[in-house]
Parts: sequence; C-alpha cells; structure tokens
Amino acid sequence: MATDEERWVDRARRGDRNAFRRLVETHARALFAVCARITRDATLAEDAVQEALFNAWRHLPDFDGRASFRTWLHRIAVNAALEQMRRGARHEAAAPPTRDENDDDDFLLQHGSDEPGPEQHALGSEISRHVETNLARMTVLERTAFLLRHTEGHSIEEIAQTLSLNISASKQAIFRAVRKLRGALQPLR
Amino acid sequence: MNSISDNDLILYFYKDGLDAGRIAEIDAALHATPDLRERYSRLQHMLGAVDAAPAIEADADFTARIWQRLERRIEQSAPHAQGGWRNRLRELLQSLLSPRFAVAATCMLALAVGIGYYAGHSSATQEASVRESAMAARVLDAYVADHLRATEGLLLTASNSDSTNLRAGNADLAATLADSNRLYASAAARAGNTRLADFLRQLEPVLIELANQPADASVESVEGLRDYLRKTDLLFQVRATQARMEPAGKHKT
Repeated sequence: MATDEERWVDRARRGDRNAFRRLVETHARALFAVCARITRDATLAEDAVQEALFNAWRHLPDFDGRASFRTWLHRIAVNAALEQMRRGARHEAAAPPTRDENDDDDFLLQHGSDEPGPEQHALGSEISRHVETNLARMTVLERTAFLLRHTEGHSIEEIAQTLSLNISASKQAIFRAVRKLRGALQPLR
Repeated sequence: MNSISDNDLILYFYKDGLDAGRIAEIDAALHATPDLRERYSRLQHMLGAVDAAPAIEADADFTARIWQRLERRIEQSAPHAQGGWRNRLRELLQSLLSPRFAVAATCMLALAVGIGYYAGHSSATQEASVRESAMAARVLDAYVADHLRATEGLLLTASNSDSTNLRAGNADLAATLADSNRLYASAAARAGNTRLADFLRQLEPVLIELANQPADASVESVEGLRDYLRKTDLLFQVRATQARMEPAGKHKT
C-alpha cells in the first residue's frame, strides 16, 4: 500500500504542484541542514536548496523509485551545495594538509589522555569552535564525504555514488577528514 | 594491536566498509587490548565532538520563502516543460549556461545546434530517427573528446607543474571545464549514454577540487593529487574514454 509520500510523488510526477508543495514542506528544512553543513553558509545553503528543489521538480519524471524519494532528493541537494561552493565560494580554500594528514600512519596514539576531563566538559563551547575550525580546514570533498557518513548516516557506497567517486576514494576522503578533526581536541590538552 | 589501523577503527566506528569477519576481529581485539580500547575511545570522543557542534538553523519563514520562489520558477518554466525532450534539453542547457563560462557556452551552443540540425531532418520513419540519433551521438562524442583532451592537459599540469602562475591559470580552466563537464554529463545521460555520463560525473569532483585549489598549493597537496591520480587510474581512464570518443581517423598531434 502506497504511503502518503509515495502518492504525493506520483501526483507531483504528473504535474500536480500542490503535491509537490507537500513534498517541499516535508523535506526543505532537512535539505537545508545538509546543504548548510556542506557550505557552512546559510545563504549558499538556501540557494542550494532552491536549486535542488527546482531540479527535482524538472526531473521528477526521471525518478524511478529505486532509491527512496528522500535519498534521491538529498543526492540532488548535495550536488547543488557542491555547485554553490564552486560558484560562490571559490575563495574558500582548505588549509594545506600537514604531512601527518597525508600519511596512512595511525594518529590516535599521538594524543594524550583519551577521556575528556571536567575542564574539557566545561570547555564544550571551545571544543565546538575548534570542531568548526577543523571542518573548515577540510576540502569541500572531504567535508562532504565525512558529513554524509557521520551526520547523514549514508553508507560509503551511497557516498561514492553521490560524489561520483569509487569506494576507495570515498574512504580516503573520510579518513583525511577525520585526521584533520584531531586538531579539534589538541588545543585543549 | 598493530594490525588494526586507525582507518580500520574509523570504519569500525561506522560499521561500514568492513566485512563481518574483520568486525569480529576488531571486537575481540578491543575486548583484549587496553591500548586499542584507548585509541578507540579517543576516536569516539573526537567524533562525538562533531555531534556537539551547533548546526546552522533555517529561520522560521524558510520553507514558505523557498516555496514562493520555487512556485514562480515552476510557473515560468511551465510552457517549456510540455515541449518534449528537445525542449527539455534546450531548457536544461539554457539554465546551466551563463556568460561567465564562455567556453562551455560555445561548446554547448554548437552541440545544441548540432543536435537541432540533425534532429531537424526528423521524419516519420523510424529508420530516419535512428540515423539522427546516431549522428547526434557522434556530434556529442566529438565535443566530449575535445573536452577530455583539455581535461587531460589540466590534470597533467596540476600534478606536474611547480609554477604558481600555471596553477592559477589551471584553476580558471578547471572551473570552466567543470561547467562543460556537467553539461556534457547531462547531455550524455539524456542521450542514453549512461557509461559516459557516469564517467563524466566521476570527473566532476576532481575538477571542482582543482578549481578551488589555491595557486600556492603546498607540495603535499600536489603530491596528494598525484597519489589520487595514480590510485584511481583517472588519467588512463580519461585517455581511454577520449580515444573511444575520437572520430575515426583523427589522431592527436
């Protein structure tokens, strides 16, 4: 039995704008969250959502239902966000990687204490700031691959499809991103 | 346990990209090895910090604003939407083109004209239709071959040049090629050439990376690109695809 969303999708595919509006109302904020994480800019994220939804409307007849509508829509949104980054934020250059970040060597051993102490809990906002700084040090590709895996819960295989990478390149992007994140904790030790 | 790398622990954390046997091995090692537990705990703490970082929130009017603008665009695009695949392709090309990307515009205008020219000979017979499709595909192939030749040069320069000026020029070229690439991928997908469309989509993130690469990119960054090209065989794939696209008898000089 078809869900409400499946019925809206079906009607929207046949040109029913009210049905498409329902879909927009259901998904727009989640799409914004994804795009904002990638672009790190509310304006760029909003533009990306706008483009993504317009593209979705135009290509609805091509939606074959193999992936869920949500997955299909998120994939379009990720690409729209990447496009916004390229068009609107060419100045955003990731910090050059250090030698360690390019290595396959293990890095978790290089840290001090593993558990956050009370001081570090008290410094939660500072950790958040450091996380933001270190997310900014990632390339767009690294950040996107990492956020899709960590925050959106996409599988590596889905990430590879979304970013048009092979599985190995997707894993490497995630590994490099996590290596860059270690700086989020180092200043607090 | 030395045989379990940090990369293994990252995959273990997400329970993704490892087979069941490897996950069981890491489970057992975590149980038996305090050092490994400590490393894993650091990883968990680090990734937990990401969850705690605040997200950018959409404002209260966001959805209404998005729909308002979207509805206007849908309204404006409505007459074209009924015009069949040629209009849809033209509309797609028009929406993606902008004066800023003159090279992409020139190539795609020529492609659209080429497709339009051949499609203009359309007749009621299926045979004619098949012939037109084949000719349109050849036009697309020729443009994609040129595009791939330029991309090959870009990748070679990016991975081999130490010149700051060359890299700055390369970033501009990469931005233009990224635009063209997207258009060609769309055209290939619409022509039913999914293999070519998939390959071009695979190129796009690399072109975007290069478009965003600073002119003073570090040695490590350039080496990273070389590594990536080597590991993915991307240059080989570009050359091989280019060779398949080349019109018969055309050779590189």
